[in-house]
This record gives sequence, structure tokens and C-alpha cells, in this order.
Amino acid sequence: MQNRGGIILSNTETVPGKRIVEFYGVVTGNTVRAKHLGRDIMAGLKNIVGGELVGYTELLQESRNEATDRMVEQARSMGANAVVNVRFATSSIAQGAAELFAYGTGVRVE
Amino acid sequence: MRYVPRSPREGINVSDEHPLKEAAVLVVGLSFLFAIVMLSLVFIVDLVVVAVSPETEARIFSGWTPGGIVELVDDDSRQRAVAGVLQRIETGWPDSPYDFRLLVADDDEPNALAVPGGVIVVTTGLLDKVGSENELAFVLAHELGHFRNRDHLRGIGRGVALAIFYAAISGGSGGADIGIAVADLTLRQFSRDQEAAADRFGLELVQAEYGHVADSWRFFERLRDTEAQPGIMAAYLSTHPDTGDRIEDIRRYARDSGWSTVGRTTPLDW
Amino acid sequence: MGLETIQLVNFLLPLGLLVFAYLLGAWIERRHYRDILAREAGLRSFPVVTFETLPDNWQVESVELVSGSVVISLDYFKRVIAGLRALVGGRVKTYEPLLDRARREAVLRMVEHAQANGYDAIANVRLETSRLANSRGDGNGTAGIEMLAFGTALSLSRR
Ligand SMILES: [Zn+2]
Repeated sequence: MQNRGGIILSNTETVPGKRIVEFYGVVTGNTVRAKHLGRDIMAGLKNIVGGELVGYTELLQESRNEATDRMVEQARSMGANAVVNVRFATSSIAQGAAELFAYGTGVRVE
Repeated sequence: MRYVPRSPREGINVSDEHPLKEAAVLVVGLSFLFAIVMLSLVFIVDLVVVAVSPETEARIFSGWTPGGIVELVDDDSRQRAVAGVLQRIETGWPDSPYDFRLLVADDDEPNALAVPGGVIVVTTGLLDKVGSENELAFVLAHELGHFRNRDHLRGIGRGVALAIFYAAISGGSGGADIGIAVADLTLRQFSRDQEAAADRFGLELVQAEYGHVADSWRFFERLRDTEAQPGIMAAYLSTHPDTGDRIEDIRRYARDSGWSTVGRTTPLDW
Repeated sequence: MGLETIQLVNFLLPLGLLVFAYLLGAWIERRHYRDILAREAGLRSFPVVTFETLPDNWQVESVELVSGSVVISLDYFKRVIAGLRALVGGRVKTYEPLLDRARREAVLRMVEHAQANGYDAIANVRLETSRLANSRGDGNGTAGIEMLAFGTALSLSRR
């Protein structure tokens, strides 16, 4: 459970401890990001020895946050105060570009 | 819990920047970036070239012949005569650190090459086309100019740098095209400057040997008359300056230096 | 045909294709968005949710697993821009409307199918994206992207 600018996010059926009074429909948030050459070169070196690709971890986390922000923005524009059953998805769109996607259902809880 | 039909505000998942604006920003930005990268590479190569003394160069390339790059012919009867001209021209550059060698390559395209280690290669196509000793002397002197300015090493260094650069940008499809175009234009500009400098040094050597520069650009005129006139685009893109411009530049340099453009020329008797 | 004519053709042909791809792509996009908005407006009263907990007053009579999908291609203009973007990194803005349209189209197809078959709502909706790689070349190119929406359609008798 997470609270973003007054909108509660949860990936369970409801918001625990609260009751859904109204539901509005599916809200989505996406962003497509490309990694850049500098990070590629560092990752290339890291691929030899293994371990965490910190640059990519940060990039994807940052992008996922942005996708979440857009989803929250959609929920807010509907008058929702929570998004329940949130799911995240990451998919490769083209060589070097990935889509970060978040979706859930915009609801009003009490 | 009840359903209240509502739609989210439109356009949240789409950036509102115009795609053409993004395209323009990317093309201009990448061109600048690539130009800076290429200029840095050229600069680094130049530093390395200066650090390699001609003595070191001679040591590295001693005994090496460019047999792998061009098809050498060692039974051309004209080789001795050309080497003789080279030897006389060379005296105009007394403090040359090189021990020059002349080789002939089997190629119908008229061309001359400066190869590391003090090797000058002329093609059979050039020897077939050249009309007098003075014409030949200027071609050889031009190559000596490349050695004086260490252009032959720069050429190799830039080739290596370019290969690395191409490998680095080969990921993005459209970006690679811009990178190649920018790299090409950057290097062409440098090579045109090098050619002009080599022409001027060559002209000095010819003047020192013959006391006049007559026939120096006669060979280029001959080439110009046979080649198709290139359009504006092609002239901008070509490595060597447009032949007409080049002749004009050489002529102007001779006139400004007060050298005679007429004099007795020596025929070639092969 | 002279050498410079060939060079000029080599230069102008991709540029012409790029302009053509942009103009046609932009026109198709505008038309598709108009279509999506109209269809979405018509289906606004049809509940689509990602959870399975239903309102107390809903009595489910029958259910069916429904899905809607669409495979889209990345047009030449967008691919070129994305290729440039891949060198510097950052947000690939040109792909956003493409994916947005495709996803909404997939959801619309799912909902239209459910409504046509007499259902009243869809619960537990899931959205998936997958890339179809080119079989030609190194397999790294993108042949298309599939958007899939699926969920459980419910027909209700309201108490
Ligand atoms: Zn030259």
C-alpha cells in the first residue's frame, strides 16, 4: 500500500481497512524509455563479471515511477482517491527500448 | 459499492511534444555531438602522431612494403626513372628524416600514395597518363608534402578512430546514418586542408629544383578534362578539393610567391 | 544517369519515404483516436475493472473468458526517431501514442465482444504487451507488437 499525492495504491482487491464505495474503471500509465550508449558501455563491462546493472536498475525504476505517476494522474482526473489491484508490466518494444506500464482500477474508498 | 461511469482525462499517457520537433532536436543535437566526438578523435590522433617521431616510424615500418594493400610490380622499366626524379626533388628538403623508396603498383586509376616508413607508391595508370617530368615531379613533391606534415600517419590513425566510432554508433539505425555523414564531412574538411598544404610544399620543391613551376598543374588539368564535371553536392563531398579549385589555388600560390609559370619542361622518354 | 544523380536519388528516396510515412502515420493516428474516443464514449456505462470483488447487488448469471487483441507495427518515421533516441537515451515519445492506441483498441475489442454476447461487465481484466521479433536478419528488429486484454465477462440480473 502506497500513498501518492493523496491517492492510495494497492495491489490487493481492496484497500485493507477501508471500504470501496464507488468504482470508476481501469486507469493506465505508460512510458517508453531508451537506454543510452554510456550506460550500455558500463553494462557491457559488467556483463563480463556479472552482478547488478545499477544504471539499468535506476533507469527502469525511474521509468516505472513515471508510469505510476501517469496512472495516478488518470485516477485523479476521474475523481478517484485510490487505485486498487495495481499491476506492473515491463516489455521490450524495440532494440534498446522498453515500455513500463502500470494499471489498476480507480475507486473511491472510505 | 457501486459503478460510476467516468473516463480519465485524455492525453495523460501521451507526451504532447510534436514529433517533428523531437525529430529536429535529435538530428541537430546528434550532429553536434558526433561532430564534437570526431573533432576530439582527430585531435587525439594528431597528438599521437606528433608523439611518434619519424625515426620511430622508420624503425617500426623498416622493411615493410605495402604489398598487402596494392599489387606491386617490380619489373616496370619506368621505376628507375621515377626514382631518379624523386631523388632530385628530395634535395629541396635537406633535413628530411626519411629514407624514401619508390614503388610502382598495378592500377589503371592514376594515383600516388604516401605510405608509412617513407614509401611512395605510384600507379601504372599515373605513369601512363603523365606528360612530362615536371608533371611527375609535382605529383611526387606533393606526396613528400604529406610526409613532411605526417599526413600518412594521420590517415591511418583516423581510419582506426573512425572504425571505433562506427562500431560504437552501429546500434541506432537512423543515428548511425547521421554519424557516418557527420564523420565523413568532418574528415573530408581536414583532408582537403591537408591536400592544400601538401600542394604548397610540393610547389616549393618543384620551384627549388627547376627554377620555375611550369607544368605543375598540367597533370590535374589533364585529369579534369577526362573526368565528368561534378555537381555542387559532389564537390562539397569529395575528399580532394574539386580539381578546378585546386588548380586555381596552386596557380594563385605560385603567383603570390612570384614564381615563373613558364619555363623549359623536360619530356619523359619512356 | 550521372553519378551525382544517383547520389541525389539515394539521398532523396529515404527522405521522401520518411515524409510520406510521417504524413500518412499522423493522418491514421488522428483518425484512429477519433474512432477510439467515439467508441469509448458509447461503452462508458459498461463496467471494466481489474479486481474480482463484485458489488453486493450484482447477481452473476453466467461468465465467459473474453479477450481482445491487436498487433500493431512501428511505422518508418517513428522507428527512425526511436533509432536516434536510442543513442542518447530518454523517453521515446513517438512510441507512446502508438502503444496507447493499441492498448485502448484491444480493450475496446474485448468490451465490444462481451457486449455483443449479452454481458454486462468485465472483471479481473489483465493487459499484456509482447513484441514479435523479426525472423529475418538477426531477429533483433521488431516485426510488430501485440496488445492483449482479457478478463471475465459477467452477465448480471440486478436484484
Ligand atoms: Zn594528397
